[in-house]
Order: sequence, then structure tokens, then C-alpha cells
Amino acid sequence: MKKNYALFPGCLMPTEQYAYELSLRETLPLFDVELVDIEGFSCCGEPMKSVNQLLTLFLSARNLAIAEKHHLNLFVPCAMCHLALSECKHILEGDSVLKERINGMLAAEELMYQGKCQVVHTVDLLHDIVGIDNIKQRVMQPLHGIKIAAHYGCHLIRPREIGRPVDSENPQKIETILKALGAEPVRDYPQKLDCCGAPLLTNLPESALTKTGQKLQAIQEHGIQCLVDVCPWCHKMFDERQTKAGETIAIKLEVPVMYLTQLLGIALGIDKEKLGLPLNHSPLERLELKDGV
Amino acid sequence: MQRVGVFVCHCGINIGHTVDVKKVSEYASHLDGVVVAKEYKYMCSDVGATLIKDTIKDHKLDAIVIAACSPRMHEHTFQRVAKDGGVNQYQVEIANIREQCSWVHGEEEQATEKAKFIIKSAVAKALELEPLTASSIKVIPQALVIGGGIAGIQAALDLGNDGFKVILVEREPSIGGHMAQLDKTFPTLDCSSCILTPKMMEVANHEQIELFTYAEVTSVEGSIGNYTVKIRKKPRYIDVDKCTGCGDCAEACRLKNRIPSEFDQGMGKRSAVYMPFPQAVPLKYCIDASKCLFLTKGKCGEEPLCIKACAQEAINFNQHEEIVERKVGAIIVATGYDLLDLSRVFEYGYTTSPDVISTLELERLISSSGPTKGDIIRPSNQQKPRSVTFILCVGSRDETQCTWCCRIGCMSALKNVYLLREKLGDDVEINLCYQDIRSFGKGYEEFYRKVRGLNVNIFRGQPSEVRRMSDHFKIDIFDIMTNKLFEVKTDMVVLVPAITPRVDSESVGRLLRLTLSGDGFFLEAHPKLRPMDTFVNGIFIAGCCQGPKDIQDTVSHASGAASRAATILSKPTLIAEPYVAFVEEDYCSGCGMCVTVCPAKAIDRVEKQSDGKTVLRASVNEGLCQGCGLCTSTCPSGAIQQRGYKDKQLLPMIHEIAE
Repeated sequence: MKKNYALFPGCLMPTEQYAYELSLRETLPLFDVELVDIEGFSCCGEPMKSVNQLLTLFLSARNLAIAEKHHLNLFVPCAMCHLALSECKHILEGDSVLKERINGMLAAEELMYQGKCQVVHTVDLLHDIVGIDNIKQRVMQPLHGIKIAAHYGCHLIRPREIGRPVDSENPQKIETILKALGAEPVRDYPQKLDCCGAPLLTNLPESALTKTGQKLQAIQEHGIQCLVDVCPWCHKMFDERQTKAGETIAIKLEVPVMYLTQLLGIALGIDKEKLGLPLNHSPLERLELKDGV
Repeated sequence: MQRVGVFVCHCGINIGHTVDVKKVSEYASHLDGVVVAKEYKYMCSDVGATLIKDTIKDHKLDAIVIAACSPRMHEHTFQRVAKDGGVNQYQVEIANIREQCSWVHGEEEQATEKAKFIIKSAVAKALELEPLTASSIKVIPQALVIGGGIAGIQAALDLGNDGFKVILVEREPSIGGHMAQLDKTFPTLDCSSCILTPKMMEVANHEQIELFTYAEVTSVEGSIGNYTVKIRKKPRYIDVDKCTGCGDCAEACRLKNRIPSEFDQGMGKRSAVYMPFPQAVPLKYCIDASKCLFLTKGKCGEEPLCIKACAQEAINFNQHEEIVERKVGAIIVATGYDLLDLSRVFEYGYTTSPDVISTLELERLISSSGPTKGDIIRPSNQQKPRSVTFILCVGSRDETQCTWCCRIGCMSALKNVYLLREKLGDDVEINLCYQDIRSFGKGYEEFYRKVRGLNVNIFRGQPSEVRRMSDHFKIDIFDIMTNKLFEVKTDMVVLVPAITPRVDSESVGRLLRLTLSGDGFFLEAHPKLRPMDTFVNGIFIAGCCQGPKDIQDTVSHASGAASRAATILSKPTLIAEPYVAFVEEDYCSGCGMCVTVCPAKAIDRVEKQSDGKTVLRASVNEGLCQGCGLCTSTCPSGAIQQRGYKDKQLLPMIHEIAE
């Protein structure tokens, strides 16, 4: 059965993290997931949260209302956007007065927020909706013998109360997917839940890069061969800024970093170029991956 | 028509602040059948009672309606008043205008209107009430105590010493419970076994106490004064009359030192045939049927080595479980507590490292009869730790786990800090992270001050995680007293887990018809005034099954429960509520539906003569009837009715409200 989702691209993926989008658009159709592009989405609202909560809620609700208008659920590959939209749903569900107020604001565009639209992220889409068995069946090049660690990203795991796609303290869904791909996931390492540093990047770039560097250093020391992530912000830090992070903490960092969907694509036998692998900055050549079929 | 009087209570301002009592009273005085209505500030006071009694006499009342608090609170009080005043005590109807009206509503006008409806409906029932006579129940002067921890032991001994026969049932092979696992007790540092073992021996030797260990209560029937209980004795595969407790079988067992010992919290190992601890009562061995090779695989080498080793020939693999039945007048439930499953607090690494242990595991390490003979070692490398860190409130006072305080965590951790400092010497670093130190009992605060004076790093803050490094742990603690972030390196982490209800408390609750409170512990009848009673007459609760307690409080609670049970057991007969079912045989078709629904098995079908023919008719054994009302709502012809709750009494109530 075909599953249709409106793709909510966010701001980072379509402006610099092309590899994530490429790999999503390559892999998901193989599992009968169709991504529908809708016009009119705005910012998710999250960056304004500490300044103007109403504006944040309005922007989130607006995006949700647009998806509702098209009778589609939202696929939100960015963990930060996913948090903003989920939190908006959670808040408006418990506050009918605020909901009415937001709907009053949305009326100018003839939009109406009802709260019917589901918000899914890459991890729960693959793990819960597509299903592990389904993934297992389609693996053409099992990633045998690669020791891989997962980075979930803070926005994806917390706060527990509003409902996140994975457990807050001991998330295991990515590891289960990696296992299905034949790889050897590191189910728990001490730094697993550490922040990537991205939220500090603007105001305290040095602290941000120190966080990034420390986590990558630990991963390197644990003998982990590859790090996978599922958020464009985290990926930006671990992949693009890896060299810079290494310089900040005076360590040579050489950790191959990939999006989960890129790794999935490789296991499914998709051409590396189509998955955007040449766009990654981290030393993927250390993984010695075979070419796609 | 009956002459009904209505008495409306202000309950101070509890009712008065939302319900216009004067107006309600005035309204009630005009209702059909009501000859007088009065209001007073505290109807349950002496003055109020006199007012009721005088009014009954002056107006020659047949029935009264009390508009006040819940019948759970004061129905008995007002029944007594009515009786003293000359009205049959069962012709009192309570209109609950406090819990069901004034307490839950804010607006005076609406609350007053609702109070009027409640009273109107109660008056409608009062008009139909009939005088009833209570019957009496013979009390069996024996008690059942479920659970052989310190609470059960104390309750059993108290009742036994009062001269009542007590049946004590423990599901483990030995009594003693959690207290037997502890090394020392706070704040006096008494040796736990030294004060517990004599009590255990007393239980074993007490002529009034019949002890069932390795047994469970499987069914409870009947009611206050006359319960029938069935006890399932699990097979020990050891002839207890022959076993001397020498331990030769455990030495010989092929699985010796292969099975994690439950008593030692997995810190030590045992054989498949085992005695939980050296001071066990009874001092008899027991074969673990889930582990024993002979019992699981049907084969243990040539011949089970335990049989060979036992000079007394006490091993008997042909034992079967046995059901015994006993009759008791009262039951004390003392089933204790469980500790939070620490794997649920993943961030503290209990599942990922053997060096993260719980306080109870530490107790076994400290204990001189424990698996290490009292040496404090790191489980991972058997070396003395260089640093130990305690984390308090693990899962306690935590909205994601247990919202309540465990009440013993702070003191048990402080005690262990004290003992560790004594045992490990001054070169070992000890850290303790707490949220609040709750040292509330007698002598507790003094003990806390003593520990503060020791060389211990005490941080006020909850670590967010315990991070495993190569050969140690790293813990970041933000100390809110100094406003600084500390980084602690430590070898061993001791978690102080929350206290939770027993995992099977729900099924035990169902067995005994007990209610659970929101947290899953057994609910007491009143949190302040009836803390040992339950809503089931004749069943009492003692110790941690009601909520977390330390040993002192548990013993007090258990003695209290024993004394409450003795109140019942010491009487030859009890007054039985007359609210039982009866059959109007003319309407009964003998279909037997009531027989199948009755949970108390109080209804039978008997042969009767009607127009010269033999017919089947339902018949209620009023001694067994619990007054639950299931039969009355099941009966298709309305032939079975409950006294005090007859259709003709209840329907007018509905009619008044739905009018």
C-alpha cells in the first residue's frame, strides 16, 4: 500500500544539507513511501522560541494547517522542526483558548488548525511504519562487519512529556535498523546522548566545536568505524565541521559520518552519487565501501 | 405515612460556605412526609446529637435524614444517636451534601440547588425505610497473617501473645523478609539479624503460631469473623521432619555456586538445593524446582548427588503441592514491598556495569554473613574500590517513575556511608548526591549530623547520568549549594532505589478484595485515623504494603494492626449489618441466575412445596451474604431483594431526582 506524506523540508536541508534530501528521495520510494511537495511552508518556528513563543506556535500551526488542508500527514526529516511541530501539537491540544487565538490568526490565509495531522520523523518512519522486516527483505549489500554508532540528537529524544519518536534515555530504534542492514551497531556508548554542539554555534562557536570534537574523539577512541545521524544540524557539525572541531580540541579527527538514509541507500544497493555521498566532508573512504550495483 | 425529620449540618464552613444551609433546611421542612427540619453547625457533636434525640421525641419521628458528610464518615455515629433517641438505627438515611456537593462545587446557588435534590431524594427513601434487626456472627478466634517479614512477625507475635491462634504464611522458604538482608539498622546501628533472629525463633517456637513457609494463600472466602482461607504449600522436595539443616546436600549439589542467590541480591551464588541464609527459620533446606537438574531435565548424572549426601534421607522428589484449609476471624496483610527495577533508570548504568549496585546489594556486601564475608569489593575486579558514590532518590520523587518518597533512602545511605568509612578506612573517597536529606525520625537528625562530620563529599544535586569510562565512572554533579559543577571520578556507584508496591499487589488485592491507592500500595480506610484498617471488614494491613516505612514505623503499624484484629477476635460474636439479600418466593421462578453471579456463594436453590408441587426456589444464606447487590440486579423478576436497598426504596430516590 502506498503511503503518502507531505515533505516538510525545513530550512537547512534545502539550503545546504542536500545529501539528506537526496538520500531520502532515493530510499523512501523503494518502501512505497511517496513524498509529496506542497507549496507554502514557512519556517518551523523553533529558532524564535526563546524570543516569541506565540510566533513560534503560529508558524508551527500554520505549517500543520497547510498539511491538514491537503489531507496529508507530515514527514519532517529535521529533528528540530520535528520538535517544534510536535510541541505545537502538544500545547494546542491542551489549550483550547490558545488554539482559538491561533486559528483566528490563521483565518487571514483561510487556514484552520485542527490537530489531525501526524508528524513523523525518519527514524519512526523507517522503524515503525516501514518496518524492520520490510527493510531486511530489501537489503542487497549487507554492511557486514562495520561497527557503527548512532547519534539521535537532543531534539529527537527530549522532552519525553510531549511524545518523541524514541525513548529519552535509552533510544534503540536506529540501532535496530542498523542491525537489519547487517551492520554491527554499538547499542550503548557513554557519549551516546551527548549534544552535537549545533545550538551553540552562533553565540559560542568555540564551545560548540569543543562539544562536537569531544564526542567525535570519544567515538574515535572507542574504535567505532562510522557515525550515523538523522538531523541536518547534527550532521553539519559532525561532518562538515569535523576538521574545525578537531582543530579546536587539538586532535586529528577522522570519523566517517553519514546520514542514516545514506547508509540505508548503500545497503539497498543505490549508487553512491545518487545518495549524495560525494557531498560528505568526513573521510568516508576509510570505510572502503563497495560501489553500488 | 412515616414521620420523617431532616437534620442539615453546616460542618463548620465545610458545607456552609457553598451551600445555603438555612435555605436548604427551610426547603426540606416543606417536603412531603417531613414533619420537621433543623440545621446545626456540627450535627455530629454532642449538642447536635442531643438536638436530634430531642427532636425525635418531640415530633414522634419514625425515620430521620441526616444531610451531612459521607456515610463512610459518620453513618455509625448517627445510627447510634437515632437508636438512643428511639428510632430504629436502620431508619437513618444519610444525604451526602459535603463530599458529593459542597466540596466539589464552587457556586453557592447551584450547590444549594443540588443539596436540595440530594435531600429530596433521601427523604423519598426514608419514607420507605423499615425497621431492621441486626443478626450476630460467631467469631472464629484465629487470625491469618500473610507475609513473614518484620511486619508479619510482629503482628503474629502480638496476636499469639494475646492468646489467639495465628496462621502465618510466608511464600519464601524462610521468614525474615527484607530486614534479614540488612546488616545494620539506622540510627542506632543495631545489628539487624541480632534483633530479628530472636523474634524469628520466637515465631517458630510459639505454641499459638502455626507457620507455613514456602506457601501462598490462594483463596479467601467469607467475611469478618468467619473467613475460610486456602493455603497452597509448595513442595520443598525435602522432608522437613528429617532435615537437620546440616547443608551436606547443598555442598554436594552439581549446581553448587552456579545459581545467583536471591537472598544475596545476586551478589553471591547458591546451589539448587539451598537455605536462603544461615539463620533461616525454619532451618530446613529447599530444592529450587525451576533450577534443579533432576526436576527440570529429569536426570542429574547417575543419581542426584544430594540424595547420596543426605544421611537423614530427607530428600524426596515425589513431594507434591498441598492445599490446606483454615478458618480465621481476621486477616492481617503484611506483604511488604519491592525495590524499583533499576534497569528502568537507564541513565545510571545499572544494567551496563556490575559496579553500579543498589543499596540492598551493598547491604549484602557489608554483611559479615554475606557473599564476601563483609569485604567491600568492586564486583567487576574483586578489588577494594578507591572511591564510592551514593546517588539518592533513584526513581523516587520522580514523575517518570515513582512520585513518592521512599522514606528510608536517606537514612539507609547515611548509615551505609558510616559503615563504609569504618570498613574501608580514610583513604577511600566517599561521595553522596542528594536532593533533600529527610532525617525525620527520633535520633535521625543527630545521626545525619554525625555523618556530615565524617570525611564525606556531600553534593546537593541529582546527577543526570553515570558515565562509564575505561576503568571508572565519571559523574557530573551540579551542586546547588555552592552553585558549581563538580566532576567526580568514582569506582563504584550505589543507587538508592525507590520503594514500589509488590509486583503482584494487584492480584493479591483482588484475592482479598482490597483497594489499591493511586501509587499501587494497599489503601487504608482513613489516612490518619484508620491507617491499619481496609475497606474490607476484618482485613487489616501492616507495614510497607500500605506505603513505604522504616523498621520502627513498620513495627508500630504491625502492632497496631494486631491490636485492631484483636478487637474483633476477642469478641465471641459480632453484630452483622442487616443489609443482606432475601427472596420473595412468590416471585421466584427458580431460574438460578442469582446463584451463578453470587461471589460469596451465599445462594442455593432448594426444593419447596407450592400448590402441592415440588418447585425450586432461591434461598439466601444470610450469614454468608456480603450485601453486594449483584443478585438483586441480576434477578429478572425482582424476586430477590436486599434489605435497606429494596427496589421500592431506591426507585423513589431516582424518581425524585429525575422528575
